[in-house]
Amino acid sequence: MDPECSRLLPALCAVLADPRQPVADDTCLEKLLDWFTAVTEAGSSLLLLQENPCLVELLFHVLKSQDLSSRILSFSLRLAGIFAAQENCFQYLQGELLPMLFGEVGPLGGAAWTAPAVRSGWIQGLRTLAQHPSALHFLAACGAVDTIFSLQGDPSLFVASAAGQLLVHILDLAMRGPAEGRRSPQACDWPACAQKIVGHIEDSLCSTAIPQVTQALSVLTTAFGHCHGLWTQGLWVRLSPLVARLLEKDPVPASHSLVDLLLSVARSAPSSDRGLWETLAQTLSHLSPTQAGPLALGILKLQDCPQALRTQAFGILLQPLACVLEAAAQAPGPPGLLEGAAGDSMTVDTLLSSKSACVGLLCCALAHLGLLQPLPQRPSPWPQAPLLGAAVTILRLCSGSAAPTSDVGGRLCAILVGCGRVQRAALDFLGALSQGTGPQELVTQVFSVLLEYLVSPESSSMVLKKAFQATLRWLLSSPKTPGCCDLDPHTQLFLTELLPVLQKRLCSPCWEVRDSGLEFLTQMTRHWGGQAGFRQALLASEVPELTKQLLRDPESYVRASAVTATGQLSSWGLCASPECPGAQQESLLVELLHILSTDSEGFPRRAVMQVFTEWLRDGHADVAEDAERFVAGVLQAASRDLDWEVRAQGLELALVFLEQLLGQRGSHCPYAVALPETAPPGVLAQALQVLCRVQLFEFAFRALFDCDRPVAQKSCDLLLFLRAKAAPCGSPQEAGDSPNVASVEATLQRWQAGEQGQPLGYLEPGAVVALLRSVDLEGLRDTLAESSDHVEKSPQSLLQDMLAAVGVLGENEADCY
Amino acid sequence: MPEIRVTPLGAGQDVGRSCILVSIAGKNVMLDCGMHMGFSDDRRFPDFSYITRSGRLTDFLDCVIISHFHLDHCGALPYFSEMVGYDGPIYMTQPTQAICPILLEDYRKIAVDKKGEANFFTSQMIKDCMKKVVAVHLHQTVQVDDELEIKAYYAGHVLGAAMFQIKVGSESVVYTGDYNMTPDRHLGAAWIDKCRPNLLITESTYATTIRDSKRCRERDFLKKVHETVERGGKVLIPVFALGRAQELCILLETFWERMDLKAPIYFSTGLTEKANHYYKLFIPWTNQKIRKTFVQRNMFEFKHIKAFDRAFADSPGPMVVFATPGMLHAGQSLQIFRKWAGNEKNMGTVGHKILSGQRKLEMEGRQVLEVKMQVEYMSFSAHADAKGIMQLVGQAEPENVLLVHGEAKKMEFLKQKIEQEFRVSCYMPANGETVTLPTSPSIPVGISLGLLKREMAQGLLPDAKKPRLLHGTLIMKDSNFRLVSSEQALKELGLAEHQLRFTCRVHLHDTRKEQETAVRVYSHLKSVLKDHCVQHLPDGSVTVESILIQAAAHSEDPGTKVLLVSWTYQDEELGSYLTSLLKKGLPQAS
Repeated sequence: MDPECSRLLPALCAVLADPRQPVADDTCLEKLLDWFTAVTEAGSSLLLLQENPCLVELLFHVLKSQDLSSRILSFSLRLAGIFAAQENCFQYLQGELLPMLFGEVGPLGGAAWTAPAVRSGWIQGLRTLAQHPSALHFLAACGAVDTIFSLQGDPSLFVASAAGQLLVHILDLAMRGPAEGRRSPQACDWPACAQKIVGHIEDSLCSTAIPQVTQALSVLTTAFGHCHGLWTQGLWVRLSPLVARLLEKDPVPASHSLVDLLLSVARSAPSSDRGLWETLAQTLSHLSPTQAGPLALGILKLQDCPQALRTQAFGILLQPLACVLEAAAQAPGPPGLLEGAAGDSMTVDTLLSSKSACVGLLCCALAHLGLLQPLPQRPSPWPQAPLLGAAVTILRLCSGSAAPTSDVGGRLCAILVGCGRVQRAALDFLGALSQGTGPQELVTQVFSVLLEYLVSPESSSMVLKKAFQATLRWLLSSPKTPGCCDLDPHTQLFLTELLPVLQKRLCSPCWEVRDSGLEFLTQMTRHWGGQAGFRQALLASEVPELTKQLLRDPESYVRASAVTATGQLSSWGLCASPECPGAQQESLLVELLHILSTDSEGFPRRAVMQVFTEWLRDGHADVAEDAERFVAGVLQAASRDLDWEVRAQGLELALVFLEQLLGQRGSHCPYAVALPETAPPGVLAQALQVLCRVQLFEFAFRALFDCDRPVAQKSCDLLLFLRAKAAPCGSPQEAGDSPNVASVEATLQRWQAGEQGQPLGYLEPGAVVALLRSVDLEGLRDTLAESSDHVEKSPQSLLQDMLAAVGVLGENEADCY
Repeated sequence: MPEIRVTPLGAGQDVGRSCILVSIAGKNVMLDCGMHMGFSDDRRFPDFSYITRSGRLTDFLDCVIISHFHLDHCGALPYFSEMVGYDGPIYMTQPTQAICPILLEDYRKIAVDKKGEANFFTSQMIKDCMKKVVAVHLHQTVQVDDELEIKAYYAGHVLGAAMFQIKVGSESVVYTGDYNMTPDRHLGAAWIDKCRPNLLITESTYATTIRDSKRCRERDFLKKVHETVERGGKVLIPVFALGRAQELCILLETFWERMDLKAPIYFSTGLTEKANHYYKLFIPWTNQKIRKTFVQRNMFEFKHIKAFDRAFADSPGPMVVFATPGMLHAGQSLQIFRKWAGNEKNMGTVGHKILSGQRKLEMEGRQVLEVKMQVEYMSFSAHADAKGIMQLVGQAEPENVLLVHGEAKKMEFLKQKIEQEFRVSCYMPANGETVTLPTSPSIPVGISLGLLKREMAQGLLPDAKKPRLLHGTLIMKDSNFRLVSSEQALKELGLAEHQLRFTCRVHLHDTRKEQETAVRVYSHLKSVLKDHCVQHLPDGSVTVESILIQAAAHSEDPGTKVLLVSWTYQDEELGSYLTSLLKKGLPQAS
């Protein structure tokens, strides 16, 4: 421990032990515990206690004190746990202190126990402490396990959950060890502590009280999820009959927890366990369609699992969609989702019982199938076509455009019409299905329903966003005509219908819609900017013009998206009108520069910087024309920006420029120690001249002392790169002696001290090289590597803060703004 | 049993991140989704795993409601919606919707910049999260779905702060968020109608405090600023850009005007300009005085307060600077503090270490800064005090009260006070503790006109103040309840009428013939039941109203007769009475 901290510790312990001194806030105590954890992990706890006797004194004092706050008591219990985690320190504290803290004579029997914080501290203390066999004897001797049993039903969720986890931890500790592999499922040779816990779980599983069954199931779920010892197999052999017996009850108690447990066991069990598969199959058939969904999904995600069970599980997920398809069918049509089987009556009943049940079941089924779709272990064959049909049907039922003739269909339509939740879920699912193919007729239906949603005035902004996302996914996955790089005729046709809709949406009064429309346009252009069909359709529409107008949108998010979209359009030459290409491009560059220097919000300015960097990197025609002038202009604007992210982006742009002049950086791997290769002297001298002319050094050196750390860090990296490149250029002495360097160094020192008013003035390349050598860039980089609140976060600072707060807290009420 | 369940994941017996789960009539709502700024790891967000273990988040939660834009009420929102995966609707008022992303963005920049944290939510996530927001107007009832509705009420505190009523059928909960019951210079006082919710969840930051007169605090503040400026010093006021800063701006602006002071007042640029912009935009959310005078003069267009430039900090002479952030932990306020702390002529109002009396501070790069300037702490926070909380409880008349956003000890005091004064139960759950309140929902039932007319025809005029017993048939159809006459019910449902009779056997010791026993029964009942119509029918049976009594011989015992008594449900009482009467036996024949 830091000597300064050691010096402050006695005073702090005295403050903590004094009930008249309120502690600053609970975060201080939490951070103090974090610190003690780190200290004990790094060294001996026993030594720590021996060198700082005030700590043990504090723990004794806490026990004696009557009117101590529950926060301090909880803190002390956790602190004792941290120390006692090491066995020799445990022995040291075991005699008197630990039984008094954790035994019945301690807080457990007192009034303080009513505070959830104390119960939580007690559990956490024991959880930390229970790391060695001695701890197990202690737990048995002080009767802690019985208390933990009762805490499983604690009114506080946090305490109850922690109690369950502690039981698992103790069980694991007891069962691990040399005899582990040889333990039989019968309890006779299990350690007493483990027997007691398992016995309790057995009793709970047989209980008629659902909360108790739930507790037992969640303890077992944690055990199978977190403990990977051989003993868990024995535990399952022993308890599985009791778990299976739960299925005999109607309704199945604690079904949610039961599903969690079975999945947890299935993930950890060997695939040959037939009993387990049977239990899973039984559970699937016993649970209601809504309850069975998560189990079915879990089963289908398993790596090894019998085919019959997978088929059963997949059937559960498909059932609601099959019912919808069947209900909406106008006439006997193509085979449905579940061939041969009519819609399960229980599913139909659930769908029709109430709006919330119907919406809940459909949303779950859609979400589960959507999650399953991209997985390699998804069922095969995957019924892509009927699923597409179901998604389209649901969307049509929701929009009211479907007119089912059957009674069930009519009722479903009445329930679903205008339901945003189902619309969102179905659009997400439809988007996920874009990864597969489908018959052209269905794909046409998909595009038509998507268009219907994009056009509809009823679509909410979130529904529109999802409709745009799904449309994008379908467009980008649409097949290319063989032997031709252009779009297929269907897509081309769809585009001509889509662009007027997009045009309308870009004029929406709702900023969310305009923004989603622009994001959609950017993505589409990024992928299709080179496709003749797309270019033609886009240029024939007013979309590019409208996008440009949105650069002046009142909403900054939209302006930023418009900047990105126009940047992308311009990269593909889609901004310019065919008559006079140069003029419009020029004006866009000027307009973006204007946004960079004048926009009051950071998002559009950041977006401009990103567009400019991309333009420079990709050699955009207008930038390449006079890159020097472009870079100078952008850096000048960026250097004055109040937003550090704009300045940091400015450095990114400067780096791209540097790389274009001097060649790539050696390696982008942050762990590689490769230095960049030096540039040939001729190239270097010329490059330095250019860099001086664009005032890159003024920008970079100013950024080096920027009050925002990421900017300074980036600048430091940039200058280090430059220095490595410039290594052979001139000797340090010849440039270092010039008067120019001395005055610049003086200015830099003033900048470092925070006075950044004075400009650097024009720099000679030689002076730059000298400066690069004289500034301690490595030292600066190390300083900057530490977060700017590292002093504030240091333990010493924490102790000082807590000590300084004494006495002032009463006067200064916590001011929550 | 229907019930309301409340579980705070944050703000339960603490003043940290607010996040309260409410289950009401099968609907689940999350009230606020705040962040704890004292932590820089997972502990800063509420532990959402307690919700995710109930299944998919979007399926479990019906909506999220945000009371106001302070980060301890909305800071975890992008994390919750974009990283944990909540995809449902988020409700807040329009000013909150406008200002919330600015503060989130600002905090994100500090977390990434100052602390170098990776894995924090990004700007794109904040934007995507804000796209899920549905703005609500004051006093507008918003249907979240067919059953769940919410309504916002004015809460004072900060621009756009609202209290929310959450209602499902006849059950309702009101959540106050943070509120202020006294108007200040730029905001009005919180107000709610007498909505009599089943539960009022109220903040209790100042549960035990009766705050001293606001005027005293203001006078004290102005005096100290004035004195410092007079002696040529500089005043640094670290503030949060949005909220109380505007209150202090108006205060200083009017004081400068009145005293004709010349020293410049600056407001740090960036956030604050935006803040003032929003105050102008949302003028209807300010107090009456500002709204009234708005046409002549916009109170947020300050004459004396100018935008601050970094270079001004080095200028000689007195000045007052409002700088962000309020905790003096980064940014402009910290930079200015570093420059001015060494001069005892200057004054600052700051938090943390300096506030707790430390005069030597270690800054970055192991530089030690000696604080010679005067340090004053002044609180202008706008929470209701104990009196205000009691006033709100009185206004809303809830059946139960639940305290959040306060310290346990202070809550205890207020809890007792509320229970004593209003005779209602008051709860103060800790984080993770669930309070369960049983409710008795009233179910609306429509009564058919025919049934009412028939009642009227009986000459009984309805009296609104007296409960009245009405017989009819309850029909449940399409989630609706209707009370109609039984004839109408039969007709509507196409059913035939069946009569149900209760029957009972009474054994009598009587050696006479059955007919004679019947006559004895008739005479006995005739003498006992004088007000009823007792008849002896030709077939030998006896009737009393709808009750039919027949005597029969016992199959095994000739000395015993069996009386078969039967009646309809309308004469249930009389039937039971008769049976018990006959069981006592017949009077001996004289």
